[in-house]
Amino acid sequence: MLEITNLEKRYGKNEAVLKGLNLSVEGSSVVSIVGASGAGKSTMLRCINRLVEPTSGSIKLNGNELVNLKGSELRHSRRRIGMIFQGFNLIDRLTVMENVLSGRLGYVSFFQALTRRFPQADIDRAFHLMERVGIAHYVNKRADQLSGGERQRVAVVRALMQEPEILLADEPTASLDPKTSQQIMSLLQSLASEMSLPVLINIHNVTQARMYTDRIVGMRHGQMIFDGAPKDFNQDALDAVYGGIASPDEDGVDSSDATGESQEVNA
Amino acid sequence: MTPLKTASAAMVVGRFWRKPPFIANPWVRYGLMAVTLIYLYWAFSTLPFNWERISEGLPRSARIFGGAFPPSFERGGLLWTGFKESFQIAFLSTLLGVVLSVPIAVMAAKNIAPKPVYLLGRTIIIVARSFHPVIVAILFVAAVGFGPLAGILTLTLYSIGFVAKLLAEEIEEIDWGQVEAMRSVGAGYLKTLIYGVFPQVMPRQIGLSMYQLDSNLRASAVVGIVGAGGIGGTLMNAFGRYDYDFAFAILLMIIGIILVSEGISGWVRKKIW
Repeated sequence: MLEITNLEKRYGKNEAVLKGLNLSVEGSSVVSIVGASGAGKSTMLRCINRLVEPTSGSIKLNGNELVNLKGSELRHSRRRIGMIFQGFNLIDRLTVMENVLSGRLGYVSFFQALTRRFPQADIDRAFHLMERVGIAHYVNKRADQLSGGERQRVAVVRALMQEPEILLADEPTASLDPKTSQQIMSLLQSLASEMSLPVLINIHNVTQARMYTDRIVGMRHGQMIFDGAPKDFNQDALDAVYGGIASPDEDGVDSSDATGESQEVNA
Repeated sequence: MTPLKTASAAMVVGRFWRKPPFIANPWVRYGLMAVTLIYLYWAFSTLPFNWERISEGLPRSARIFGGAFPPSFERGGLLWTGFKESFQIAFLSTLLGVVLSVPIAVMAAKNIAPKPVYLLGRTIIIVARSFHPVIVAILFVAAVGFGPLAGILTLTLYSIGFVAKLLAEEIEEIDWGQVEAMRSVGAGYLKTLIYGVFPQVMPRQIGLSMYQLDSNLRASAVVGIVGAGGIGGTLMNAFGRYDYDFAFAILLMIIGIILVSEGISGWVRKKIW
């Protein structure tokens, strides 16, 4: 269970990016976070695994406070938080297996990491997870030779290798074509229920948010302005989240546009 | 409002445009030109160009070249020993320099080193780069005596300066996302280096090492002249004894070796990516 209370983040003396955010996620629910660029979605996710330092507030994962952790305590808590990125962030020049095993870096010794002598249990788990997402035949292929969707699968497996207690996905489908991004979304959805893992997904595509997640959180100017079931995320909510912004991102802003896109894909 | 409409409307002709000058202020622009010209005139008029000496020197160099023909490979043993020593100097100093340059480059990369460490790393690089290898070789020959050890130390320092600087710049330009990914799985500093940083700069490092071996082979001939061992010493002796034909043979040998090593390093650098 993840509990964010009164989270605030301010870069330098600028206006705060996050203004007293409260959010709690329980069980294996898939939560999508929608909002225009600059609303603070990415900053919020990165505060959870402390890639970004929160200014104040509290973040608790299964009762453990994450803010103010330092050194090895911070690294140990990061092991329990898997993250998936928009740009995949794989180690391009290493093989798929090395990328997958790098999810265990928080657990193995420096020497094991250097020589790639990972414990047998890790290798077994790697093969098992790669088979689950359908990339097992790429074991020794270099990560940069894979297609976008395949690379994101590698990234998902890397995150799952951490034996995470929560999964964060920062616009995991924004660099993928519509069809592949649907596959990744449904993969995240089914993995969440299989492993009873809460998943937080930043997403621009409102149609996909409605389709693949259990709960939608709308953010604007660093504050939460919508929190509810996908069926309640209506036109008014959409306008509240995205409206009045001069040039919003094209994806999912206009609901008719977004549905048009998904129809195209389904056809 | 739309550009198309104005274009289709009556077109105004004869409007003036010229590329803006590189230096906007005309006083500064013409002032700089004038200063350059005046300096050039002064420099040429005060340098002692002695045409007599030049005209005497030309036939003398012709005589030296004449004496160098045909090149003499009679003392091939000496040539071979000198070359072997040069290659040893170049190889060992490249290896040492490249190995040492990795930690120094990490220290000198702004994005992954804390400020004080960064400054220390940059200082090491600046010191290593500030003197030409010949000057460093003179110092080392004075310190550890004649012979290849002085050459190895000189070229190690030279390699550190060059390889560490370029590698540090390469590290500063890596894709930060991969580093973030390694941090997010809970990897510490060293593991992040091995997985998130080094794979990204590896091809560059191999290319730099090959280039440095090439460059050290060349430089090892030069530092030999001031007594730091290798074929440079042999060349110096040959000149000293007016053995121009042997000296020419040595020069041919150096050219041949440089050609071969340049070919190999170019081929290797093209292969890895």
